[in-house]
Amino acid sequence: MPSKVKPRLSRGVLDMKFMQRTKVKVAKEDDDEQSRALYSNEINDKMLNSNSNFIIETSYAICEGLIDGRLSFRGMNPELERIMEQEKAEKESTLKPEQPKDVSDQDMAKTYYANKAPSASRTMQKKFNSKNDNKRRHQQQHQQQRKPQFKKPRQDDDNDD
Amino acid sequence: MANSISNTTIVMPGERVTSIEDLAKSKRVILGPGLRRLDDTVVASKAGPLRHKDPNTFWVDNYQRRYVPARGDLVLGLVKAKAGDLYRVDIGSADTASISFLAFEAATKKNRPDLNPGDLIYARVLNASADIEPELVCVNSNGKRGKLGVLSDGFFFKCSLNLGRVLLRENCPALTALTRQLPYEIAVGVNGRIWLKARSMRETMALSNSILSLEQTNYSQIDRICGDLGEVLQE
Repeated sequence: MPSKVKPRLSRGVLDMKFMQRTKVKVAKEDDDEQSRALYSNEINDKMLNSNSNFIIETSYAICEGLIDGRLSFRGMNPELERIMEQEKAEKESTLKPEQPKDVSDQDMAKTYYANKAPSASRTMQKKFNSKNDNKRRHQQQHQQQRKPQFKKPRQDDDNDD
Repeated sequence: MANSISNTTIVMPGERVTSIEDLAKSKRVILGPGLRRLDDTVVASKAGPLRHKDPNTFWVDNYQRRYVPARGDLVLGLVKAKAGDLYRVDIGSADTASISFLAFEAATKKNRPDLNPGDLIYARVLNASADIEPELVCVNSNGKRGKLGVLSDGFFFKCSLNLGRVLLRENCPALTALTRQLPYEIAVGVNGRIWLKARSMRETMALSNSILSLEQTNYSQIDRICGDLGEVLQE
């Protein structure tokens, strides 16, 4: 017949020296169960297991990103102005200015992966292409780049009467 | 300022804000002061424009004069009394805050800070909640003083919390406009209190009048008013 309660180890077994760790574990589980039973009619499963996407922040200064409120201008408090300049320098050092790239991203990827991932950059494939294949590929590239040319309207279209 | 909603919506207390709920279904949302969460709905608890900062931060910018302490705020406090190891400081909240005498730079049990009732201090709120009285510190996490500490001389006045926040925004035009006229030192607390110090009493009063005149300005008109501050100062 199915037993409703998990088989519990007897006290004699738990008192043995090699069972010390399991004794601690069993005692902890008992305590947890008791506390759960105590609050089971106050706390429901949803409270325990749900995770929400909301973070509550009680301070305006953190939400809005306000600055420190102590400022000094034009030399009223030299020590304070020194601290202000230090903070400004620190802030600017963290924002690095964008530098123009010498090598574009595409070229960089092509050459960088030529050695590392030869199948992706198709270096061996190019070796076995014939001259005609290469010519055709270049022509296709150039054709795609040409702008669509203006076509004169046909003579028939003018006489719509 | 990062205001991605071009026409800001005004919310009233009790109103459900469905735009935030929709956003929260896909990613984490930070609810600032003025917004509350009830199960899966987001309800505004203050009246005012709903503001938004770019990734996912929302809050309500209402008009308020009473300060509710929050952790991490920089506030101006007035020392009321000494009580054993603490000082009782009034920061404008419902409870008086306390600051331990060890929360100052280079303070030891023998070497107490030189603070008397009636002094003004610029401190940071260490922890604050509805059930406890707020605690302040005058020292940062490294134990250094930084910009916190006692403020001496100068002129102290109160304003609304919104004015304090307007002055503390990044690149606020008001403070730079004033500095073109005269040199001064200022400490703004987010609890609606401001301390000013200029070279003479007349200049200090002129500065405080010009800052208080910003109280009524609209958020978008502030650039224009700051240009006129020069005339206010000469009065």
